[in-house]
Amino acid sequence: MLPIANRVREEREARGLTQSELGAAIGMTRQTIAAIEQRRYSPSLESAFRLARLFETGIDALFHWED
Amino acid sequence: MSFRYKSGLLTLISLAAIYSYYFYRISTGEGREQLALLLGVVVAIVVVQVVGLAIIAVTSADRYGPMDERERGIDRRATAVGYYTLIVTTLGAAATVHLGTGSSRMANAILLAIVVSECTRQAVFLSLHHRRA
Repeated sequence: MLPIANRVREEREARGLTQSELGAAIGMTRQTIAAIEQRRYSPSLESAFRLARLFETGIDALFHWED
Repeated sequence: MSFRYKSGLLTLISLAAIYSYYFYRISTGEGREQLALLLGVVVAIVVVQVVGLAIIAVTSADRYGPMDERERGIDRRATAVGYYTLIVTTLGAAATVHLGTGSSRMANAILLAIVVSECTRQAVFLSLHHRRA
């Protein structure tokens, strides 16, 4: 598990989006969204900003370091 | 499984199976008409790929699309491993000239090097794709 935790699943579910829908909205596959939510993959800075903008939140509210 | 994973699996299995048959025929001396055999192998791979991809496209829930950043990263790593495999195996194939190998055998050795490196690339892609899915 990677050290960068995120709230992508919570934000996605709060908006009633599926992983496929979220992926399509920011140009990612369903598998990549699942990997981000499971902390198996850390997105690029650009994609992190895309996610934060989509959820209308700050990047630091969406991602944080967790030892 | 995603469309890309299934298509990669199809490529790996078809390449390994069909070229195994080709090299088996060559090694046993049965493939005297090497050019015809090679052409048959190429046609077989094209047919298997086209039919297989059509079946995967029809049955898969995922649609084919461009790679995203995670898949591009996986592809880069797999290609790097495949590249080094190609370098090593091609040098090995070229070195057979010192064993008095003829041009036909060397051509087959180089073909084997290409097939092995492509299979390695596909296997690494599938492995990383699976682990990071």
